Amino acid sequence: MRHLEPIHGALESYCRRLLNDLNAVADVLQSAIANAYRDFHLYAEGTDFRAWMFRYVHLQILNCNRKYSRTRHEELPANLAVEDTWQLALDEPLFKVLLDDPEPVLDQCDAIVAQAMQDLAPQERAVFLLQAIGEFTYREIAEILQVPIGTVMSSLARGRLRLRQRLVQYGEEQGLLREE
Amino acid sequence: MNCNEVRQHWNLYHDSEGDAELHFKISEHLDMCADCAQWFSQQSRLEDMIEEKLTPLPADPVLWNQVLGKTGLRKPVRVRSWMWFAGVAASVAAVGMLVLLWQGVSANASDLSKLAASWHQKVLAGQEPDFRPQSDSPDLEVEHYLRKHVAFPVRCPPRKDAGFAVDGAGICKMAGEPAAYLTGRVDEAPVSIFVLSGASLAAFPHQQQALRQEKTHQCREGPYQMVLAVIDRNTVLVIGQTDADRLDRVLRAYGTYPDHH
Repeated sequence: MRHLEPIHGALESYCRRLLNDLNAVADVLQSAIANAYRDFHLYAEGTDFRAWMFRYVHLQILNCNRKYSRTRHEELPANLAVEDTWQLALDEPLFKVLLDDPEPVLDQCDAIVAQAMQDLAPQERAVFLLQAIGEFTYREIAEILQVPIGTVMSSLARGRLRLRQRLVQYGEEQGLLREE
Repeated sequence: MNCNEVRQHWNLYHDSEGDAELHFKISEHLDMCADCAQWFSQQSRLEDMIEEKLTPLPADPVLWNQVLGKTGLRKPVRVRSWMWFAGVAASVAAVGMLVLLWQGVSANASDLSKLAASWHQKVLAGQEPDFRPQSDSPDLEVEHYLRKHVAFPVRCPPRKDAGFAVDGAGICKMAGEPAAYLTGRVDEAPVSIFVLSGASLAAFPHQQQALRQEKTHQCREGPYQMVLAVIDRNTVLVIGQTDADRLDRVLRAYGTYPDHH
């Protein structure tokens, strides 16, 4: 309990941002905590309890999302290499405008950021949120998600790019970004 | 490293990942290249602003109480979480009261559910009850206090029956009718009980009509669930931001508690 309490907010936010069925937040947390409690003898005191707990929550979210079976998320084409991602954004003139002065767009778009997050592929979203909410290192994220560290790096780069593209799109639609 | 190579590694640099040699090479390049230095700085600023939008909100104490309760790991009530809840509740109350004002409170003055919700909001916002029990038997102490202040008998359901932990009581008026109230918690969810004399029900035609049709009336007002019944010639309403079953358990416990009067 003493380990768990400081991370209530982060676990809850992670659930709310990653679950497809928002009504399942309590159930997912409950199952994850019950499973973690069941396996608590496997937890080594002194190791990162946050990462250990996030792993259980993430697994439960995957189960829940699978049941919910929403299929609107499509992975980006596999041939979009990580090296290309920064360059795609850089080629966009409006993105330069956004970089120069992001406040007008970001000040108005909490909902857009939230929606853009929902539109990311599940793995990109998980990596991005573990980094932003959980403040985990790439290695910790790789362990939580049970994926290679290279996948974490590429997912994060793609996720960041897509969020930026969405912000540019929003800024353009709202007339907040104009080519100079 | 040229500009393209350096920019490919912005993610690693921003997240303080990668090896020391890579960071050294990037830093060396940024010291020499003003364009890349500006580009890195702008990317990092934008990323920080996006992450700021995703900062975790404070945990929802009601949700966690439910989660921990069901897993058997429920923690004791903590002042900190209660204070946080009171803070949120104060904001909700302020918004709620503005909405009530806007809609015109007088038009709904005889709606018991609205009045109860309004009063419960005040309690959540930190309004002190008239009386706070100090002894180890708060339910009996509260009953003793109310016996002196209202003309009709008011009970306090014992904690063992419905989990209602009383922490205050007082007297108020609802549509001009005298009422007693008890404040407390079921688990960690704040719950209030309002008791009026049976005759007072005539001042609330909507609830009177509902109780003619059903023994226990359930309704909802904003975020608050409530259950209402006539028990021993009194009108008893239990309200809280929790599920109706829990409130109904409190109501039934109220009805079965031996009368000390």
